[in-house]
Amino acid sequence: MKKSDLIGGGIFIALGVFIILLTLGFPTLEKGHPGPALFPRILAVLFIAFGGVIFFRGVKGEKKGLEAETREEVLVPKNYFNPIFVLILMVAYIILSNWLGFYITSTLILFLLMIKLRVPYLRGLAVSILLTIFVNLMFAKLLRVPLPIGFLGW
Amino acid sequence: MEFLLQGLSLLMAPKVLLIICISSIYGLFVGAMPGLTATMAAALLIPFTFFMDPVPALVSIVTMSAMAIFAGDIPAALVRIPGTPSSAAYTQDSFELTKQGKAEMVLGVDVICSAIGGLMGAVVLMTSAPLLAEVAMQFSSFEYFWLAALGLSATVMVSRGSQVKGALAMILGLFLSTIGVDITLGLPRFTFGSVELLNGVDFIPAMIGVFGISEVLRNVLEGEMSYPITRVRAGKIFSGMGALIRRYKVNILRSGLLGTFIGILPGAGADIAAWLAYAVSKRCSKEPEKYGHGSIEAIVDSGTANNSCLAGDWVPALVFGIPGDSITAIVIGVLFMKGLRPGPMIFERQPEIVYAVYLAFILANLLMIPFGYLAIKASSQMLRVPKNILMPAILMFCIVGSFAINNSVFDIGTMLLMGVVGYFMEANGYPVAPIVLGLVLGPILEQNFMISMIKSEWDLTLFFIRPISAILGGLTIIVWFFPVLATFLEKAKKRNSL
Repeated sequence: MKKSDLIGGGIFIALGVFIILLTLGFPTLEKGHPGPALFPRILAVLFIAFGGVIFFRGVKGEKKGLEAETREEVLVPKNYFNPIFVLILMVAYIILSNWLGFYITSTLILFLLMIKLRVPYLRGLAVSILLTIFVNLMFAKLLRVPLPIGFLGW
Repeated sequence: MEFLLQGLSLLMAPKVLLIICISSIYGLFVGAMPGLTATMAAALLIPFTFFMDPVPALVSIVTMSAMAIFAGDIPAALVRIPGTPSSAAYTQDSFELTKQGKAEMVLGVDVICSAIGGLMGAVVLMTSAPLLAEVAMQFSSFEYFWLAALGLSATVMVSRGSQVKGALAMILGLFLSTIGVDITLGLPRFTFGSVELLNGVDFIPAMIGVFGISEVLRNVLEGEMSYPITRVRAGKIFSGMGALIRRYKVNILRSGLLGTFIGILPGAGADIAAWLAYAVSKRCSKEPEKYGHGSIEAIVDSGTANNSCLAGDWVPALVFGIPGDSITAIVIGVLFMKGLRPGPMIFERQPEIVYAVYLAFILANLLMIPFGYLAIKASSQMLRVPKNILMPAILMFCIVGSFAINNSVFDIGTMLLMGVVGYFMEANGYPVAPIVLGLVLGPILEQNFMISMIKSEWDLTLFFIRPISAILGGLTIIVWFFPVLATFLEKAKKRNSL
């Protein structure tokens, strides 16, 4: 039994079924020839077929193509919360940037992530501010991308 | 000749030369940093190329990728971690030689063979692409359908690890490409009422997610790694190189051609070229017992092959619009973004751009020697850049970069989602490059299929009646059944030997 393959295979099978359900309402071309639904349905069938292979491989616990597993064993110290923290920060950027503006949001996010990754406070703050200024120079000044301006006007 | 001069003048503009220098330094840095790949570097470069003219945009990717693939060799030799997956094949050999006190020789071979390999690839690109483009002029939707199918099938075939997982990753990419307005009836598919999704999943934030964010997630998971770095005397790297190159000239020629050929095959990139060249080299060598324990011959072969592959990758990308690897998948995205349609017509309509790309390959590989020397000189400082500062910086570049294309927060969401998907898939043994190839080739595959079907009033036999179409179709089907065939042959061989 291999859990990751059971889950992975299961997700792909479910995705395949979901796609077929969604395409049921798609119209056909003249004379009933398949139209917009054809390609997605072929892909859905392939999802189910290959997902099924992975699923059954998971049931049998077949050890094939397990590079990821062996790799996982090699890398020892792991901080499982760090990736989640990165995702939280990205969502925070999406929510906050229009309100706080680019300067504050970017500095804040960089600073928080650096602290989480154990950069000393003062160094983290200095690098965060400098990086924010650099990104702003590159994108806002050089490439003229309208970075979000918050309620403070910067 | 006229176009060559035009291309040269485009390349020699001061602004373009400046971009070449900056891209070189960027490529060397990213390539030398373990954990950051050349593909990620290309993905992060796209937002910048968006604001450039076509020539500087393409040239920056050419230079960056050439430098990054070479620079991946530096940490392989000095700390036993390949800087990019393309150096993985000979990391063990490089490090063993370093332990024997031959770090300078290894790095000298790395830089010289990379440059020679790159130049060989460029020559093949220059000679074969125009010839193939003439053949491609006769292609219609039937042939393009098969080409896309062949490219996708080959990608799955060569994906490392499980091919079924490679296939699933590719199908996911193809599915993502179906999101948005369909081409036959203009029906919005899988958009769930979102206006942003009507135009489909934007390629750029998806790429930055799959290759950038997933990389950040993986790196912060691992925590800070510190490793002892061997010091090198950069001044000595070129001593004795002349004799060494003369001694291994056959290896260089063989691996340069092999690498370029692997590059031309759609879907197979520099890492596969390096592994294959390593295997061939071991088989042909007089000292196969040295492989894995510090063989300079292995480094000569694979180091030449991975760089020559880069130019080869551009052949199908420019001629057919079918990417040779994940970096050229990005290149195709950039070409579309610039309103240029890769394919045989680009050779007729914008030959100066094609020539500028050729010349950029030559220039980048010539510049590799001085720039590579400087990178080796700065290697110990470069490898000490702390990851806990680098990763937040990359994260911010990913966020702002994906926002910059459409000035839309929705794109940041796309990037986030694709980053998470890419991260989980890779952690469970699914290769992620096929997702991107599927996303790029999906529209080509579907459009050409639907156009062919509507044109022929749903007569499937036409896919096999036109001669070139039949050959390409036959090849594709062989690739599909290759794993079954290989198992069958192996069993038969065993039975015979019993």
